[in-house]
Amino acid sequence: MTVLHSQHDTVPGPVQAPVPARRPQRRRADLAGYLFVAGYTVLLIAFGVVPTGYALYLAFTNADGQFSGINQFSKVATDFRFGPAFANIAVYLGMWLFLVIVLTVVVAVVLRSRVGRGVSSVLRFLFYLPGALAGVASVLVWLFMLDPSVSPAGALLRAFGLDNFDQVLAPGNLPVILVLIAFWTGAGGWIVVMYGALNNIPDDVLEAARIDGAGPWQVAWHIQIPMIRKWIVYMAILAFATGTQLFVEPQLLETASLGRISPTWSPNELAYVFAFQYGNFNAAAAISIILLVVGLLCAGLLVTRSGLFKVDEDR
Amino acid sequence: MTILPGASGARAPRPRAAAPHRASRLTSAIVVAVLIAALLLFFVVPVIWLLLAPTKTAGQLEHDFPLSFGSFRQFGAAWSHLTSFQGGVIWLWLRNSAVYSGGALVLTLATSVPAGYALALTRFRGRKLLLSVTLVVMIMPSAALVLPIFLELNEFHLIGTAWSIILPFSFYPFGVYLVYIYFATSLPRDLLSAARIDGADEWQVFRRIALPLARPVIGLVAFFSFVGNWNNFFLPYLVLPSSQQFPIQVGLNQLLSSTPSFNPVAGAGLDITSPELALAVIIAIVPVLVLFLFSQRALVAGMLAGSTKE
Amino acid sequence: MTARPRRRAFAFGSALAAVAALVLSGCASADVTATDTAGASSFHEATQDDSSTITVWTDSTRLPEVQEYQKENPNVKMNIVTYDGDANGSTYLQTKVQLFDRTGSGWPDVVFASPTDTTWAGKPTTPGAQAFAAPVNDLVPAGTLDNFATGSLSPCQIDGQTYCLRNDIAQVVLWYNKKLMDEWGYQAPTTWEQYQALGEEVAKQHPGYVIGAIGDTNSQESYFWSSQCPAQELQSNGSLKVDLSSPDCTRMSNLLDPLIADKSVSTQGFFTQGFNGSKVLMAVGPSWYGQYLFDSAFKTPAGQIAAAAPLKWTGQSQTYTGNVGGGIWMISSHSKNLKASTALATWLTTSTQNLQDAPTYPAYVPGAKAWLANPTNKDYFADDVTNVFLNAANEVWTGWSNTSFSDATPWSNAVLPALTAGESMTQAMPGWQTAIVNEAKASGYTVVTR
Repeated sequence: MTVLHSQHDTVPGPVQAPVPARRPQRRRADLAGYLFVAGYTVLLIAFGVVPTGYALYLAFTNADGQFSGINQFSKVATDFRFGPAFANIAVYLGMWLFLVIVLTVVVAVVLRSRVGRGVSSVLRFLFYLPGALAGVASVLVWLFMLDPSVSPAGALLRAFGLDNFDQVLAPGNLPVILVLIAFWTGAGGWIVVMYGALNNIPDDVLEAARIDGAGPWQVAWHIQIPMIRKWIVYMAILAFATGTQLFVEPQLLETASLGRISPTWSPNELAYVFAFQYGNFNAAAAISIILLVVGLLCAGLLVTRSGLFKVDEDR
Repeated sequence: MTILPGASGARAPRPRAAAPHRASRLTSAIVVAVLIAALLLFFVVPVIWLLLAPTKTAGQLEHDFPLSFGSFRQFGAAWSHLTSFQGGVIWLWLRNSAVYSGGALVLTLATSVPAGYALALTRFRGRKLLLSVTLVVMIMPSAALVLPIFLELNEFHLIGTAWSIILPFSFYPFGVYLVYIYFATSLPRDLLSAARIDGADEWQVFRRIALPLARPVIGLVAFFSFVGNWNNFFLPYLVLPSSQQFPIQVGLNQLLSSTPSFNPVAGAGLDITSPELALAVIIAIVPVLVLFLFSQRALVAGMLAGSTKE
Repeated sequence: MTARPRRRAFAFGSALAAVAALVLSGCASADVTATDTAGASSFHEATQDDSSTITVWTDSTRLPEVQEYQKENPNVKMNIVTYDGDANGSTYLQTKVQLFDRTGSGWPDVVFASPTDTTWAGKPTTPGAQAFAAPVNDLVPAGTLDNFATGSLSPCQIDGQTYCLRNDIAQVVLWYNKKLMDEWGYQAPTTWEQYQALGEEVAKQHPGYVIGAIGDTNSQESYFWSSQCPAQELQSNGSLKVDLSSPDCTRMSNLLDPLIADKSVSTQGFFTQGFNGSKVLMAVGPSWYGQYLFDSAFKTPAGQIAAAAPLKWTGQSQTYTGNVGGGIWMISSHSKNLKASTALATWLTTSTQNLQDAPTYPAYVPGAKAWLANPTNKDYFADDVTNVFLNAANEVWTGWSNTSFSDATPWSNAVLPALTAGESMTQAMPGWQTAIVNEAKASGYTVVTR
């Protein structure tokens, strides 16, 4: 008898089977667990924990290595670019999160349930295509896409009253443009992941629902989406974090426009400027820690509310 | 018999009137079609533009219809300009990318898949700690991490070697989480309990049962890891001492700074203009696209058909 | 609600208070006091080995020159590396040098860079480190240095030491389309007032044609630098004067306003994608506009474009002009083979053989003369640019100081969007002032506004 536990099951209660005393087996399972994660843990410590710890150290000291308390944080917070950068990212995040979470899930559902297998496959490939274009590729493409005089979407841009590249890059338009670019490069990958997640829902479940008379959107809303809740939460956490860490897209727009956009439009860009233009790694670390805390707050919220870390404990 | 999960509301059958059903079906079909069409245009038209760009000259790019086809001769000219840049360095860059991404791929799979499995399906002390730490590290902005990584690599005398890129690339927490979530949601516990009760040790359970069922997510992780590393710019940019060791993304950046449109005084005699850049970009992504096509089957996750019937 | 959460909250609160107390009780400041850099006059030479390999970092454009040197000097062991040359505000060199300073090895021996790089290369990057750039006045004879165009080495001079050899300069001259000017019966202006009058004339008689553009990220260097506007003028005590309300600045913004309004000066940049090059009657811009703007970008046919002397203000006896670009070569103070490094850098910047074919106007005067004598460098123009270029090279105003921040950043962020939105130059000036002051302060300068 198969019982698929859903993330909705949060009712504590007696487990299905009595739990025998199993200390020796537990130690063996522990050891197996450790061995399995050993390789990854080494890498995690080397390239995750130690650098993060070092960054934390940098954020609370100055260039001479003396403990400086919160002075690095107050120094960056009073920088004239700090406020605008965080204001920019807040606006960007509002649009980005909505777009990426809602649209990728909707598209994945559509591709899974509303179009045929072959078409779905082709569409997934096409949606993913821009994701393969990173960095320089995007610079080149968007330089031309955003210029009303040479862009295939020129007519569309002009309809918005944007007649030349400079007008397109007006400061007020930047959040929208950056969301579009980020969505263009990033959505395809998430659609593939969500699609894969949806694909793991057994057909019987969907069949049963359909037999019960549920329409496709009801199946989506009541069955499919709840069953991929963990994936959606994961995507939300990462979308939030990568959103706050926005760097590549404003940087590439700055290159494409030959410097018209502020080189510190996003907080992460500001951190880079501190690190690599002023050589002030301490201040850069301070900004990074602030971004980390913001990302963690969101992640923590989402993780605890969705039980992302809970796995079935029915042994 | 399968029992429907405790999702709210869908348990009671809901008969619906037939007439509204048909109308709403039509509207929903139209909505879907419009959505797909709009997205298709959004995602694909810029790529089409890119593919057509090397067939035109820089002037044609600016003045002709954006999606027009230029000429094969122009394509040939762009090709020869690009491949003669710094003595054909673009092939070297591609080779470097393959080495770094391929090497990291092997290590990533070897470390991430077992780790994700263990995090999802075994219990050991520190499991939640590992998950939390992984999450924290994933959210940490990279600006602050590059310096410590550089210092570490230097400490172990790895600067200038391929390992200075492959090792950091192999650290792939995103992949670990993908595997973790996959195993946590899609693998029925009973299968593993049954095997364990039968006396199999954890390694056998992993190899014989979990691994074959995990092919979809392994394909996903392999693909994303390879592509992510292929496109990674900042770490190699910073860590590699010589332009001969650059992967293709960093090389493209150097091409960019040799293009008059982006650096007006650049390129006396270098002949690198927008069409050549576009061609370089296409060359750079062809391996990724080929890989995508090949991993389509793996990416189209197989269903757990057999395991759910009892 | 049980007692446990309350106890936990209390514990958390007191921990927080303790941490706050600790943190606020006298910690070191975020910045360290700058170490005394005045004593950088004599650097510590590394152990020299005249036969060791020198590592040369160059950009793609100068790579052929370096390769030429290697061909001519096969016994010099060179490791040639290409990088982006720190173009477009890239801080690659600065970043790498900082990393090398921390690990104690890896510095290149000779690098091609941009003048802003001297502002950090002439000083130690971390306390206790040695400044990356070696003072070339210790390595190269004074006579050689004297032969560089007036003021071309001043961006590299800190505390009386010179830290670079200037590769090329980009003195601003007045470009005009001689064919059109002759057709329409116009004379090339010699003063700014005449320039303004001509602009207004052109707007009436030939609308659509422009006599300049200020939408580029470096247009301020053509216009405001030429006007001797104290937008970033280093004072003798090290502070930076930023005074855009000075008459030297306002005379330029007042000149530009009517021209912007009647569209004879474009608010787009010459290098903006799709700029119509066939409608350019005149341009105020650097010496490299000839080849790289009119020829390469606009594809204006040969024999049409000519250059005239930089404009001056009526009643001014001395002409001053601006500068838009130019690269430098630096020699590393950590080099183990200063002899070979210096020889290479000197050859690149002063040898006639190299300079006569250089892609841009050399800063070294004898080399510049050789460049001007080379027909390929002048064939494109309608008449002989030799005297115009030579004179202008010595007229670059030295009051527009080399700063550690790029002067393009405040201009691009504050002025260009304002102009695009339809504001006048005068309206954009206060925003520009604030932007420069902010940028300067963030980079560590003390700013004075008088």
